[in-house]
Amino acid sequence: MTDPEALEDRLAEISERILAAAAKAGADEAEVMVVASDSIETTIENSQLHSNQANEETVVGLRVYSGGALGFATANDDGCGGLDELVGEAMAQAAVMPADEYNTLPLPQPVTPVTGLCDDRLVAWGLDDCTRAASVFLQRVRSADGRVRVDSGSVSRSSSLVSLCSSTGTRLTERRAHVSGYLFGMAVEGDQVASSDYDGDVTRDADSFGGLLARAGDRFVEKCVGSLGAGRGRSYRGAAILSPEAVGEFLLPALTQAISADSVRKGKSPLAGRLGEMVAAPEFTLVDDGSLAGGLASSAFDREGVPVTRHELIGRGRLQSFLFNHYEARAAGCNSTGNAAGSASSLPSISPNRLEIEAGPASYQDMCEPDRDDTILVGRWSGSTNPITGDFSGVVKNSFAVGRQGRRPITEVMMAGNIYTALANISAISSERRLLGGTRLLPAIRLEDVSVTAA
Amino acid sequence: MSGALDILSRALSGADGFVELRYHDKSTRSVAVEQAKVEATGYARRGGVAVRVLEAGRWGSASTSRLETAAVRKAIDRARSAARANPGQAIDPLPTVDLARGQFDQPGVDEITGRSLEERITMVSGLEAHIRKAGQKVSSAACSYNETLEHKAIVTSDGARASFRLVRPELRLQAVTEGGGELSSGFESVGVTGGWDCLFAADSGERLAEKAVRTATDLLSAGHPEGGKSTVILAPSIVGLLVHEAIGHTTEADFVQAGSVAAGKLGQRVASELVTLVDSGNSEFHAGAGGTIPVDDEGVVAGRTPIIDQGILVSYLHNRQSAAKFGVAPTGNARAWEYSDEPLIRMRNTYLEPGTSSLEEMIATTEDGYLLDGPRNGQADATGEFMFAVQEARRIRRGKIAELVRGVTISGIAFEVMSTVDAISSSFRWDLGSGYCGKGQPAKVDAGGPYVRCRATIGGQQREPVSAGA
Repeated sequence: MTDPEALEDRLAEISERILAAAAKAGADEAEVMVVASDSIETTIENSQLHSNQANEETVVGLRVYSGGALGFATANDDGCGGLDELVGEAMAQAAVMPADEYNTLPLPQPVTPVTGLCDDRLVAWGLDDCTRAASVFLQRVRSADGRVRVDSGSVSRSSSLVSLCSSTGTRLTERRAHVSGYLFGMAVEGDQVASSDYDGDVTRDADSFGGLLARAGDRFVEKCVGSLGAGRGRSYRGAAILSPEAVGEFLLPALTQAISADSVRKGKSPLAGRLGEMVAAPEFTLVDDGSLAGGLASSAFDREGVPVTRHELIGRGRLQSFLFNHYEARAAGCNSTGNAAGSASSLPSISPNRLEIEAGPASYQDMCEPDRDDTILVGRWSGSTNPITGDFSGVVKNSFAVGRQGRRPITEVMMAGNIYTALANISAISSERRLLGGTRLLPAIRLEDVSVTAA
Repeated sequence: MSGALDILSRALSGADGFVELRYHDKSTRSVAVEQAKVEATGYARRGGVAVRVLEAGRWGSASTSRLETAAVRKAIDRARSAARANPGQAIDPLPTVDLARGQFDQPGVDEITGRSLEERITMVSGLEAHIRKAGQKVSSAACSYNETLEHKAIVTSDGARASFRLVRPELRLQAVTEGGGELSSGFESVGVTGGWDCLFAADSGERLAEKAVRTATDLLSAGHPEGGKSTVILAPSIVGLLVHEAIGHTTEADFVQAGSVAAGKLGQRVASELVTLVDSGNSEFHAGAGGTIPVDDEGVVAGRTPIIDQGILVSYLHNRQSAAKFGVAPTGNARAWEYSDEPLIRMRNTYLEPGTSSLEEMIATTEDGYLLDGPRNGQADATGEFMFAVQEARRIRRGKIAELVRGVTISGIAFEVMSTVDAISSSFRWDLGSGYCGKGQPAKVDAGGPYVRCRATIGGQQREPVSAGA
């Protein structure tokens, strides 16, 4: 484990050296992001511990503006001068790129440190800790139900030091660490193979990891075994209850793209020009918040050094805001929302930090026991949504026909419709929510007027 | 490259037990143009050496970004420590096999690396402009290009000493159209292992742009299909996705051991006798398949592996460890995405062998069905259940092509669908070369085949509310 102060000094030296070289090469503005990471992992294969891995790496990303033109280059530190070619590569691009009036770097802004992003006990984790956690995780699943087969999985710990420096005066660093674990597999009983499934969790808190992994293991077993005995469903047009996982897979990706300012500017968002209008049912509120203490998606600053904050995107069904980075904010004549995303190996893009759908009044259990028959409970959704048109179509997984006669697992059932219509057709939101992957806090949602097709 | 091989060999000398060293230097250049504006260009380079060791039958891995003898030796020590901390079961000894030795460079590297950034920008900007001019209803146009240049060198303590360079250019074009208050989109992409001559061998960039515009325009007025079971003729792009997602994954030996639907079916009939399905590290039939690799990341020569031969399941896909477990030769399917990744069992170029029919005959003899082309994405399950979205779905009525429909997804159980195949065209096309497969790590793959007629479920709109009796 490298001494944090020595590592911070090394990253500062790299940043200042590259900034100086960029200025010497004629860059008007330059920004250097350096991420030094240290990761260890125990992998699982075929219900056995498989391999132990240990990796360390330092990656540098350089963005330059010269005469209003952009250049970007990234490389890992090979210790042999590989980083020295970054300036030449980035400047060569800027030399042939067109000038753009919005191409500037943000000025330094005061940021408030977010607590709980780096638990030193996690940083001190060794491979013994990973293998121990992986063994417990695997044993919990194997002892719970012998029908469950684990195809693959892992327990890993990653710690990093992030440094962001720019010619406009930004000098920011942040230490982060997290530990995660997941399993992927299926239940097999005789000749019957159930749908494959996965579960896992991730946290920045060493104390809570064991409990989170135990619950993930229990959910994994329940999902795998619950899919055994799945039968054919029936075709209908009616209701679908999306579990929090399905909400994350189904609703959020297309919606996130539609509320990104770059999609709006490029004419690829059907929500363009609709600020202040109703775009969803009045029960639906969507918030982005990357400022929570200890949050996996939390940070004091975004990919460009802009403070990360909380903002409402859709409030009571009404579109309140798009997501902006510095460039898109300048193009739109507003302020960045702190949603510049990406790593040192990419240009700043736009992404939400931690999305949260406000809880509703409905009990999830009541939603899952409807007093009518034309309803499916969707555990997971595997399909595609065209964010431009909103058309979606895909297969439901780990899903059940629910109604007055109870519930039974179903297979080979597809669901289709339009996501923007579906947002307006939300008829219930659960009071219970689940934090998925540490980055999305989601309830279950019931949609009306969905097309369900059985084989 | 001999420099990398020499450094790895020096680092390996004197090392005990099984040691595998893999140098991987990957650089990517990209250009993106949207709405007549060059949005971004980029250059990314990542490289280093991966080390894997077997200590008392247990794996340990480590990596270093430095291609230096001392750094690699230090990584070997870290990998040994990792293996000793691994309390898992010891694996079977790796099979003895003739490992690759020599230089295996692929075509196109010098052609691509000789091009200037201006040439790339000019090409992409020109195609984006072509999209905007190709249709009156185009409201947004985008074209992006990226190329990945890879240098690899693999040295193992049991005899591999191989290196190669290859390059994979990819092009993506998107047209968005607007009409009647609605938006629609059309998307085309192409990716190869080779130079630009190979990238545009089947279709020019202009033709791809026009196709994207035509699709986006036609889809504006398209209706939705009615869901249900149907006869479908799958274009090579969809065939490729089907054989990759729905069958290929279930035959990856790690997934087989976990209990995939292909487990225990070797030697059994799993498809129509018309079906012969292959995964190959080579680019069969036409040059440039996007998943081509001469040598896998364990140093095994990546050849042609028949998976289904005339309807009979004949092989799984293996790395060295799974080959030892199954008592067969490794098939050259061990692949790692980055230098720091562990090789996993992955497909390469997966395809269905061509048959004897013509597409025209297949359409003419279809009373009611769909012609499906242009995959948007796809996924399959351990059960063999698959789903993928289709960009262009045209109705076939009484032996003739009819209207276009939108929002189509097809689904089925792979082996059941393959058992319904009753016609295969003699034409062949690689058509998934811009695709990436996800399995913990990405992998560059390609897939394709002929036109294939079979039965599958179309996901669409249900017109009448029907009570869902369970």
